[in-house]
Amino acid sequence: MTILILQIVILCVVAVAIVLWALYFPYPSPLIRRWLPPRKRWPESQIRTWLEQGGFQRAFLRHFYSDPERIAPPGNSLLAPADGLVTSAEVHGEVRYLVIALSFWDMHVQRSPVSGRVLSVESHGDGFMDGEGREFAFLREKSCPVQKRLVIATDAGQVAVRLITSLAARRIETWVREGEQIERGQRIGRILLGSTVVLELPPAVKLLVRTGDRVWAGETAVAEGVTSP
Amino acid sequence: MNDFLWSSGHLGWGFFALAVFTGLWWLLSDLCWRLQSIRIGRLMVALITGWAIGVALVLLGFLIGNR
Repeated sequence: MTILILQIVILCVVAVAIVLWALYFPYPSPLIRRWLPPRKRWPESQIRTWLEQGGFQRAFLRHFYSDPERIAPPGNSLLAPADGLVTSAEVHGEVRYLVIALSFWDMHVQRSPVSGRVLSVESHGDGFMDGEGREFAFLREKSCPVQKRLVIATDAGQVAVRLITSLAARRIETWVREGEQIERGQRIGRILLGSTVVLELPPAVKLLVRTGDRVWAGETAVAEGVTSP
Repeated sequence: MNDFLWSSGHLGWGFFALAVFTGLWWLLSDLCWRLQSIRIGRLMVALITGWAIGVALVLLGFLIGNR
């Protein structure tokens, strides 16, 4: 009798696992979620469904709001202001724009690339948009995504960090104020859900990253030549 | 055959092993499909081959055990 009960219990456990698999398919069952990397754990289609419905899985929100400690590398190099993928490093006019695209699975707290004083925290933009060229819409005098631009004065010039929303990301929090002295790698704000961060640099800086590189906020050196030694 | 399905007041070990193996194999296949960038055709072949080998081993084990 004991063997029969044990067999039935084991079969029930397997059956429950299969029922959970079927209920959650094509998304991963809660039983295997922990072993999957974030991109597989919460596929983009699932996150977009949540965005439409306005509800999110708690585990995803916990991951999304994570704010790990970062250790800035020694030296005076400029640090990446956000986690993400470098998608462009073009020069327009007198400014080099280093564009970092954040995904749903990236850590969303932005960090200061340099030490300096916050000159201004400006709000721009009037819409929420996705698509190619969205990150440079502000240069074309058209309607552009809602964004915040933080200008930081350093000993050797100014740099700016532009936090840009997307269709999914509709809120930006900035955690620094005008006149505040900030440290290299310090937290400066957060964009809620995937979006874009643009670092505006003098054109003469030496870039240390290329398009397609992956960068981490407050840890990856992206350029040299702005801060005085 | 009766021993395979039912034996001495409990489920036959052959049937039990087959059911558990099939369920776990299915779940494992799903995990592999999510972790690997593998074409669905290739995955199906691997899944069916692996399952057939597993079933053969279970049956072999059952036959040897009942000699």
